[in-house]
This record gives sequence, structure tokens and C-alpha cells, in this order.
Amino acid sequence: MFLLAIKNLFQEKTRFLISVGGVAFSVTLIIVLTGLYRGWNDKLGEYIRSVPVDIWVMQKGSEELFHTPSILPITLDDELVKINGVQSAKPFNARRLAVSSGGQQFQLYIVGYDPAQNSGQPARVVEGKKVPGPGEIIVDRSQSKKISIGDKINAAGRELEVVGFAEGGDLVITSFAFTLPEELNKIQSLPDAVNNFWVTLNPGTDKNKAAGDIESALPNVTAVTSEEFVSSNTKIVSDSFLPVILVLVLVSIAVGVAVIGLTIFTSTIEKAKEYGVLKAIGLKNRQLYAVVLKQALIAGVVGFGVGAVIATLLGASVSQYVPQFVYQIRSLDIAWIFGLTVVMAALAAYIPLRRLARIDPTEVFKA
Amino acid sequence: MIEIRDLSKTFGSGHTAVKAVRNISLKLVPGDIVLVMGPSGSGKTTLISMIGTLMRPTGGDVLLDGKNVTELSPDKLADFRLNNVGFVFQSFNLIAALNAELNVMLPLLAKGTSKSAARQNARELLMKLGIGERLHHLPRDLSGGEKQRVAVARALVNEPKIILADEPTANLDSKTGHEVMQLLCQTACSEGRAVIIVSHDTRLKDVAKRVIIIEDGRLVKEERGNHEANCPMEHKHARP
Repeated sequence: MFLLAIKNLFQEKTRFLISVGGVAFSVTLIIVLTGLYRGWNDKLGEYIRSVPVDIWVMQKGSEELFHTPSILPITLDDELVKINGVQSAKPFNARRLAVSSGGQQFQLYIVGYDPAQNSGQPARVVEGKKVPGPGEIIVDRSQSKKISIGDKINAAGRELEVVGFAEGGDLVITSFAFTLPEELNKIQSLPDAVNNFWVTLNPGTDKNKAAGDIESALPNVTAVTSEEFVSSNTKIVSDSFLPVILVLVLVSIAVGVAVIGLTIFTSTIEKAKEYGVLKAIGLKNRQLYAVVLKQALIAGVVGFGVGAVIATLLGASVSQYVPQFVYQIRSLDIAWIFGLTVVMAALAAYIPLRRLARIDPTEVFKA
Repeated sequence: MIEIRDLSKTFGSGHTAVKAVRNISLKLVPGDIVLVMGPSGSGKTTLISMIGTLMRPTGGDVLLDGKNVTELSPDKLADFRLNNVGFVFQSFNLIAALNAELNVMLPLLAKGTSKSAARQNARELLMKLGIGERLHHLPRDLSGGEKQRVAVARALVNEPKIILADEPTANLDSKTGHEVMQLLCQTACSEGRAVIIVSHDTRLKDVAKRVIIIEDGRLVKEERGNHEANCPMEHKHARP
């Protein structure tokens, strides 16, 4: 009866296209939202993942870089290196600032990069100077649409010249930028303070135990492993983005179910007499249910294919024009979205199936 | 043999009850061709709906080779129809999305016959009915007579014991209608299938062996048809 399902679908091309369009719209929306969620999650954690740190130390109560600021005394490194297993403790200073360049205003998360201590360095410099000098700054390439190498940036009254582009510091709505610690201190005006410490451990030291030891020895600090710090920093994306995604995914599912359901339902009503004929001939209800279900599934699967292609094209092209469109999709995501499409199609077939069950085969005798 | 015993159908209940069919009994042997005639609303269609097991009677039985089929479950009834009953309708009722060949293949595919065997059977039958050149045409591209031939082929393809035709010539011109019915009756008769035709068309007496008249749900008269005089060739169509 697969044949009948296919022939019925393709006999009414407009209706089939509407079904496919509805599913494609839903699938595109779900894939893009998931891709954006993954992309944002990845971007927010990328810099923290790239730096050679075992443990992040911050002021007690602080959890991540962007929304719970941390201020620690600059001398804390002396106490940190005394703790068993700690090899080095390097200061990490950073501040989010509204900056301007060429009449444009935007935000940068400016990090103090100390080449001598090898702390606060960019993940990778891809263009220009590798190390900024006095009055200079390296910015993330995600800002390259706004600024070029050689441009001047005004940050809290200080003028810094862009001398290089780095990668791995895109924070979607802002990005990391790297200047010398002295330049950052002039902007922050906190000469005796530091935001965090990067702790490196001796080889073989257990990270979790060392973090616990640091917190025991220094009650006013929080110490977390780099993996935990990545989670804390990306949690904000999960917390704020996932509920929105969930609502939009549910709306997308509703749209998909409604479009397939309505098109298959109207087709079933229009073909009620034909289904009556099939019942009269001797097809069982379950064979007819299979025809309708297959129609819904075919529309769903074709719609999924179209939606996946559209989402892929969007993912590849839109990010070139909208830097915030950071899109990453995994094959596992595609697999669950495909499963969701199948469920969506099966749900859509429910009402047409109920209508089909009520078709009276004696209707076939009506002229 | 098909036996209909005291078949009755009442719609509604109490003082609004309508007795559509009242205690009709009938026996059909293989090769029988029975024309059921009567005025509109006399219960002809209700009668064949019950014989075709599309409608449950409120009284009486339908027996096929001695087995009562009126009490079968819906699935068993579907199987019964698939294997034993062929239908030909006034409006042809072909599946619009399927071409002539696929329409005829449908009952075989539903039965589980392989696609290649179903295709071969359908082709042979359509060729025998004179539309071998129109196998791949959709119903919308066929004339009325061609559509009814396809419908006849679909009714015959599962080699049913009984064929029920409801006003099969109503949408055909007289010449085409006569040709189609000749074909149906010759084929069915030569292959030992019983045929019940419901019609207002008195010319169909020419292909019927028996004619029964129904009025107000009752069988009021039975007479001989003119089949033998008009169908001298029927045995030449017999399958080996």
C-alpha cells in the first residue's frame, strides 16, 4: 500500500508541497535554534578551554567571568603557590568596556596580557603582531567588520591602536581583546587588585583535590577546575537560551503537526469515497491507516530533508553577514530532530485516522 | 453456493423505524446472473450492501458454501470481501491517483500477491476486456466505458465467487453499457461466478438469467432473463 500512499501524495502536488513546506519550516527553525544554542555555548567556553590553566581562582561568591565580578588582592599568588600541588599562580585581569572606534560604539572584554608571565594571552593570533606593545591592543577577528588593523580604539578615555587579530575569543555579543596589563590597569585603576588567578598544578596532581585544598587554605576564594569553569560560563547560555528554544521548538512542532495534519485531513475527507471503495474491496482498517500514516511520514521525511538543507545553507551563509549568527550543529542533533519529525508526522496522522475509521463503505453506492 | 435467508434490514427504531428490506431469500449458484429491479427506495442497494457484507442485516443470514458470514468480525468480513466479493459501481469508483493497471492490481496487492504476479494478472484481464492499450492511463484520461471495464477487471481479478454491480450502466451510453455488461456477464458466467446486478435498466434483462423485482423491501416477483438467448459464446471464455 506504499504505492497508493505515494501516488495519492504526488497526485495532489500543491497539497504535498504545502505539507513539505510546513515541515521544512519547522525543521529549519528547530535546527537553526539548536545550532545557535550549540554555537553560542561553544563560543562562550572557547577561550576558557584554550588557555593552559588547571584551576581558576576567584573571589568567593563569584562563579563565572561575565556576570559575577571577582576582585582579589594581587599578592594572593604568594599564598597560592604555597599550597600542596600548585606549580604556579598567574594573575588574570579582564574588564568589559564600552569602546568606540571610527564613530561606532561596541563592547569589548579587555584582558591584561602579560607576555613575561604568559598569562592572559589570546587563544591564537592570526594576523598582525603576536604581542601588543604599550598603547596597543589585539582584538578578536569577530570584530573585523567594525575595525581594522591600524584603527584606534577609545576605551575609557585611553586610545589603543589595533595591531593584531586573534581567534577563539568571540563571545557572540562581545569579544575578548588583549592589551598589556599596564594599559588595563590605567583603564581599571585597580593597581593592587586582580580579577582571577590562573593556577597550574604539578604533573599528576588531582585537580579536584587541589581546588578543595585551595578553598580550605583560603576561605575567601572559590577555586574550580577549568572544566567546571567552562560549565559555569556556558551555563548562562543554557539557562537563558534553553527555555526560549524549548518554547520555539514546541511552536515549531505545533506548526509542523498542524500543517501535515490539515493537509492529510483534507485529503482524507476528499478521498473519503475512495477509502470507502478500498474498504468495500476488502482492505482492512489497519491497511488504510498505514496508507495515511505513510503519507504523513513521507511528507515529514521530505520536509525534514528540505528543512535540513535550508538550515545548512542558512548556517553557512548568514554568519558571514550577521556575526552573532554563530551556528554549530552536531550529527546527534540532526538525528534527534529527525526522530522528532517522525513523531510529528505520526501525531499529525492521528485525526485523519480517526476520520478514516468512521468512513462507511456503503457510501460507495451513492452516485 | 450463496444463500440469502430471510434477510431484513430496519433503520431506526420504534415508530420511526423504516423497514428497508423484509425477509428476502435467494439462492445463487455459480454462473447465476440475477438482475434486481424495483423503484427507487425499494431496498435494492440495501440488499446488495448486506449481501456484500458492507452492512449488517437486522435479521436473516448470508451463507457462502453453507457458512454464515453475517456474524464475522470486521477484519474477517474484510477478508471475506477481498476473497469472495467483487464490486462494480455506478460511478466506477476507480482510485484517481492510480492508473488502470494499478487499480486492477489493488485487490491482489491487498491480498499479499507479489507485485509482478499482480501486474501480470491485471494485464491479462485488462487485455481480455479490450483495454490492454490503456494500462497506464489514469481514470481521468479514460472514457466512461473504459473506466467501467477497468472496474469490471478490478471486480474479477481476485476471482470472487460473487460480483455485485450497482447500476453499472447508469453513467454509460446504451451501446457502451450493453457491451460492458455483456463482457462482465460472459466472463463471470464462463468462470462460474454469480452476479447480482441492481439496475433500473430493463435492457439488462438481456444479460440476466433471472430477474427479481423488489418493492417496499419485499421480493414481489421473479422471472427468467434473456441471458441464454444473448450469450451463446460464454463457454468459449472459460479459463482452462
